[in-house]
Amino acid sequence: MEARMNTKPEAYTPQPGDFEFLSNRDITTDKNYSSLSYWKGVAIHFFQDRKAVIGLIIIVAIILLSVFGPMINEYGYRDIVSFRNANNRKVVAKGIGPRIPALHEMLTGAPYDDDFADRTFLFGTDDLGRDLWTRTWYGARVSLIIAFVTIFIDMLIGMSYGLISGYFGGPVDQIMQRFVEIANSVPRLVIVSVLAIFMAKGMGLVIVALLLTEWIGMSKIARAEMLKTKEQEYVLASRTLGARNGHIIFSQILPNTIGPIITQVMFSIPTAIFTEAFLSFVGVGIALPQCSVGTLIEDGFNNITTLPYQILPPIIVLALLMLGFNFIGDGLREALAPKLEDM
Amino acid sequence: MKKLLSLVLAVVMLLSVVSFASAEGDRYLGVMLATNVMSLDTNLATDGDSFEVIADCIDGLTQMDAEGAAQPALAESWDISEDGLTYTFHLRDAKWNNGTPVTAGDFVFAWRRIAKEAGEYAYMMDEIGNIKGAAAIIHDGADPETMGVSAPDDKTFVVELDVPVSFFPSLMYFPTFYPINEEFYNSVGETYGTSPETFLSNGAFVLESYTPGTANLSVKKNPDYWAADSVKLAGINYQVVGSSDNALTAFKTGALDIVMINGTQVDAAKKDASLADRLTVTGAGYLWYLSFSQTEKNADGGALANVNLRLAITNAIDRDNLVDNYVMDGSLATFTAVPPQFAASSTTGEDFSADQGLFADYVGFNPDKAAEYLAKAKEELGREEFTFTMIYGSNEGDEVAKVAQAIKEDVEDLLPGVTINLQSMTKSERLDKMQNDNYDIALTRWGPDYADPMTYLGMWITNNSNNYGFWSNAEYDQLIADCTTGAYITDYDARWDAMLKAETLVMQEAVIAPLYTKANANLITEGVAGVEFHPVALNRVYKNATVE
Amino acid sequence: MGKYILKRIGTALLTLLIITFLLFLLVRIMPGNPFPSERMSDDMIANKRAEMGLDDPILTQFANYMRKLLFHGDFGNGTSLYYGVPINTVLSTCISNSFRIGGLAILIGTLLGLALGITAALHRGKFLDGFCTVLSIIGVCVPSYVFLIFLQYYFSFRIPFFPYFFDQKRFLFSSVIPSLSLSLFTLSTIARFTRNEMVEVMDSDYVRLAEAKGLYGGSLIRRHVFRNALIPIVTVLAPLIVDLLTGALVVEKIYGINGIGKLMVDAITGEGIDYNYVLALGILYSALYIGIMLLLDILYGILDPRIRVQGKAGDA
Repeated sequence: MEARMNTKPEAYTPQPGDFEFLSNRDITTDKNYSSLSYWKGVAIHFFQDRKAVIGLIIIVAIILLSVFGPMINEYGYRDIVSFRNANNRKVVAKGIGPRIPALHEMLTGAPYDDDFADRTFLFGTDDLGRDLWTRTWYGARVSLIIAFVTIFIDMLIGMSYGLISGYFGGPVDQIMQRFVEIANSVPRLVIVSVLAIFMAKGMGLVIVALLLTEWIGMSKIARAEMLKTKEQEYVLASRTLGARNGHIIFSQILPNTIGPIITQVMFSIPTAIFTEAFLSFVGVGIALPQCSVGTLIEDGFNNITTLPYQILPPIIVLALLMLGFNFIGDGLREALAPKLEDM
Repeated sequence: MKKLLSLVLAVVMLLSVVSFASAEGDRYLGVMLATNVMSLDTNLATDGDSFEVIADCIDGLTQMDAEGAAQPALAESWDISEDGLTYTFHLRDAKWNNGTPVTAGDFVFAWRRIAKEAGEYAYMMDEIGNIKGAAAIIHDGADPETMGVSAPDDKTFVVELDVPVSFFPSLMYFPTFYPINEEFYNSVGETYGTSPETFLSNGAFVLESYTPGTANLSVKKNPDYWAADSVKLAGINYQVVGSSDNALTAFKTGALDIVMINGTQVDAAKKDASLADRLTVTGAGYLWYLSFSQTEKNADGGALANVNLRLAITNAIDRDNLVDNYVMDGSLATFTAVPPQFAASSTTGEDFSADQGLFADYVGFNPDKAAEYLAKAKEELGREEFTFTMIYGSNEGDEVAKVAQAIKEDVEDLLPGVTINLQSMTKSERLDKMQNDNYDIALTRWGPDYADPMTYLGMWITNNSNNYGFWSNAEYDQLIADCTTGAYITDYDARWDAMLKAETLVMQEAVIAPLYTKANANLITEGVAGVEFHPVALNRVYKNATVE
Repeated sequence: MGKYILKRIGTALLTLLIITFLLFLLVRIMPGNPFPSERMSDDMIANKRAEMGLDDPILTQFANYMRKLLFHGDFGNGTSLYYGVPINTVLSTCISNSFRIGGLAILIGTLLGLALGITAALHRGKFLDGFCTVLSIIGVCVPSYVFLIFLQYYFSFRIPFFPYFFDQKRFLFSSVIPSLSLSLFTLSTIARFTRNEMVEVMDSDYVRLAEAKGLYGGSLIRRHVFRNALIPIVTVLAPLIVDLLTGALVVEKIYGINGIGKLMVDAITGEGIDYNYVLALGILYSALYIGIMLLLDILYGILDPRIRVQGKAGDA
C-alpha cells in the first residue's frame, strides 16, 4: 500500500515491478467457492489468517483456564489460608508474593523462612490470605460470562437499532435518535439503583444494567456506518431490482459494516468489565467473596504500592483477552466482508 | 535514545528547582483528611473532619486538654449552682477576626439557632445537655426565646438545665455549642461558612482558603487569638486523600506530614524501618458491632430473636483475628457494649470498660460454647438451617469488606447450618434499611458524642431510634431512666454501677455483638510534635502543635 | 441547512425536558434516605422533609423545581451533601475543573490517537502496525487510575516536578498528570478506530478509482481516505468527550480534584442520597450529551453532504 502511494507516476512508463497484488492470495490457481456456503468461505478465510488463529488460541486458553484453573490446586476462591499458632492466634497467609517452594530452593538453596514455606501460590495471595491463582481464574469466569452475554445481546440490539435508524433516516431516525438520547442521559448509577429495588442484586442485575446502556455505542456506530454505505452503488442496485428493506439492511449492508462494529465490540469488553467492578463497589454487583476481573483489579489497586504483584494477574488476563479478541476481530472482519474478488 | 532521555531529565530537574524555589517561608503542617469537609456551619456539620476544621477556627466555652478533660477557653471560669441546674460562665476578652469582641450574646444566638433549625446535633441541646426549654423548641417548634440561655451582660453567659448533667463542662468543647456572631451571620445570610470571606474565627486559626467540596483547604495562624502566643504553627494545609495506599505514598514523598493508613499499608509501614518510628496509634472511639434484627419478618423467620442463636454467633467470631489480620491499624478487639478508653470515672479515674474479660461468659471467641449455644438454639427453634444476609457499607473504609468476609468465614466454619450471605451497599442505604427494620444482620458502628458510657447505653432502650434490633427489656429501660433523669443523677457512683448493670444485660442477651474499637494508625513526620488526638468530639487538636 | 439545525435544536430542548422529568421521578424512587440521620428523631426528619417540599404532590414539586431552574438558574440547595450550600456554588468549581482537565485529555487523546492510527494504517501489517495495536490494547486494559499512580510516582515523587496533589492555584501545571492519564483510553480507542477505518476505506473501490485516476500520497489520504474514515471516528469520539468532560471518579479521588465525577458518586453514596445534586448533575450530563449529539449531526452534514440531503428528503 505504502509503496504504491509513494511512487510518483508523472511522465512515467509503468514497469512490471511497479505492480503488486492487492491481496496476497494466490490467484494463479483458481479456487472455486461457488459450491461453498457463505459461512464455510468465512471459515476458510479466517483460518488462513495466522494472527486470527493465535487470537483464537489465546481466547480458548483463557476460557479453559477459567473453567479448570481453579481446580488444579487445593484452594477454593473463598478459602482463607490460615492456621492457629501456639497462642491460639490465627496466622493468615496474606500478602504473600508468587511462590513455588521447589523453584525457590533450587535457585537460592534455602527454603522460604516464614509460616507458609511449603505452600505453592503461583500468583501469590491477596490481602485476605486467599490464593490469587484460583481467584484470578474464578474472576475471569465471572467476567467472561458477563462480558459475553451483555456484549452479544448489546450487539444484536445496538446493531439492528442503528442500522434501521440510519437506513430509513428522516422522521424515523429523528424519533429513534431522541429515544437513544433519553436512554443514554439517565446516569447509569441512577438506573442501577432503581433497578436494584426490583431485582435481586448480583450478576443478573449487572447484566441487565449493562444491557440497558452498552447497546447505545454500538447503535451509534452502526448508524454512522449505515449513513456512509447506504448510498453506495450496490445498495442502489438492489433497490432498483426491488429488494425489500429488510433484505438490503441485514443481508447486504450489515456484512459491509461489520468491521467497525467488531472494533466497538472489542472496546466494549473492558468497559463492561470495569463497569461491573464499579457496580460491585457501590454494592449492586456480585457479592463478596465472589470476584471478577474488575473487582480484582480494584482490590489490587488498593494495595498497588505495598503489594504490587496483586494487580498484575487480572490486568494481564484482561490484556490477553483484548489481544485475542483484537486478532480474532481483525480476522473476522477480513473474512466476513464480501470482497469484489469473491463475487 | 539514552542521550535524549538524559537531556529530558536534565530539563525536568532544572524546572523543578525553579518551581520549588518559591516554596519558602513559614512551614504549614500538611494534614490528611479522609473525607471532604461537609460544612463549616456548626448547625450543619455532622462529620469529624468538619468539626476538626471548625474547632481550629472557633473556640467554645471550654477546650480539650491532651487527656480530653475540659479546660477554660472563652470562659475564664464558671460557677455551678447548688442544685447543679444553673451554670454561669464568665467570658474572657476575645475577638472575632473582623475585630468585634466575642460576647455572651454570640452564644445565646448560636444556641437558639441550633435548637430552632433542629438539625442532626440539636439533640445535644435537649437529650444530652438537658437545657431548659430546648426540647420544646426542637420538637414542637416553640419560640427559640424560651430556651434557658441568657446574657445578663456581654461577659456573662447563663445556662439553665432541667436536670443536673455531671459532664456539662466537657460538652462545651463540642462544636454544636460554639458561638456565632449574629450581626455577621445576618450580613452573609445563606452563604455563611462557604468561603474565608463569609466565615468568622475567634480561635487559633483563621480560614485561608476553602470552597464547599474542595479537596484541599488551608487555615493560617490567627494573630488576634486570645492565646496567640501558645500557637506555634504558621498554618495547616488539609488535603483529602481517598485511599490508604495513596496516603502512604503521599507521606513518603513528604507531600503530607500527618496521614492515616490502614490494613496492608500499616503492615508495610511496620516493616519499613524509617516508617515504623513514625507510626502512632490513636483511639478513634468508634465501636464496630453487629446489630441483629429481632423482628419476625427478618432473619429467616425471626430466628435471631432467639437469644442462644445470637450468643452462638457472638461466640464464634474471632475478634483478635479481625484486628490482627484485617483491620491492622491498632484497633482493639472489644468484648463490651461500651468500648474501652473513652469514658473514665470522674471519682476513681478508672475506664468504664477497662476489664474486657468481664463478660467472658457471653462474648468472646469460644468455639465450644458457640456449638453449645447453637445446639440449644436449634432445639428451641426446631430447625437445623439458618440463612442470614449481612449488610455492610461499601464506602465506610477498606477494612469493612474484609471484616465482613472474615466473619462469614468464622461463623460458617464454627456453626454448621448457619449461612451468612454478604451484601454491600452505600452507607446511606444501610442506614435506611436498618431504620426501616429491613435487614437480618448489619455491620455498623457508633462513635461517642460525649465522654460518658450513656452515649452507647442510651441506644438500647425501647423505641430508641438507634435500637435497630428492636430489643426491648423493661428492667433495662428502668435502669437507664434512673441514670438519665431519675434516682441516680446526683449520685455519681451509684449511676456508674447502674450503667454497668445495664451493660451486663445487653451482653447477656447478646443484643449486639461488639467487634472492635476503631483506632487510627497515623504516620507523623519527624519534628512534628504536640498534635493531640482524641476519640471523642474533636479528633485532632493543633493548638499546641510544633513543627521543626 | 439553517432550518434543519433549528428543528434539531427544538427537538433537543424537548428531549431535555422529558429527561429532566424522568430523572426527577427516578431520583425519588432511588433507595437511600435523603436525611440519613442517626441522631434526629422521626418528627425532626418529618419537619425537614416538609421544609424541602418532599411531601408535596410530585407534579407540584416538579413545577417548583423547573420554575427555580428556568427563571433563576438555581439548582436548589444540597440536602445531605455540603448541607444547605447552594448547589450552584459547588457545581461551578467542579464543572470548571472537570471541563478543563477533561478537555485537555480529549485534545491529547484525539490528536495522538489520530496520529497513531494513521501511522498504523499506512504501515499496515508491518512492525509499526503491530506496535500500535499493542499500545492501544494496553491503553484500554489498564485503567486510567493505574496510569495516574505511575505518573504521580515518577513525576511528582521520583522527579518532583509536578505537584503531588491537584492545586487549584497552579491549575494548568497540576492538570498535566490527570489529563495525561485520562487521555490514554481515548488515545487508544481513537487510534484503533482510525486505523481500522482507514484500512477499510483504503481497500474500497472508490479509493482504488482515485488511485487509478492518478491521486497518490498525502492528497489521496486527506481528500479521500481520511475524510471518509472520519464519520465513524467522530461517532466514537462523541460519547468519549461526554465521559471525559463529566469527570472520572477514581482519578479525581486519587489526585484530590474536586470534579463532577466524584460529586456524582458522593451525591449517591455519601451519608445520604442528595436528590438535588443527583438531579443537577443528571441534567448537566444530559444537556452535554444532547448538545454534543446535536453538534455531531451537524458535523455529519458537513463531512458528508449526502446525509443532509437525506435529512431533508425524509424517507429514503
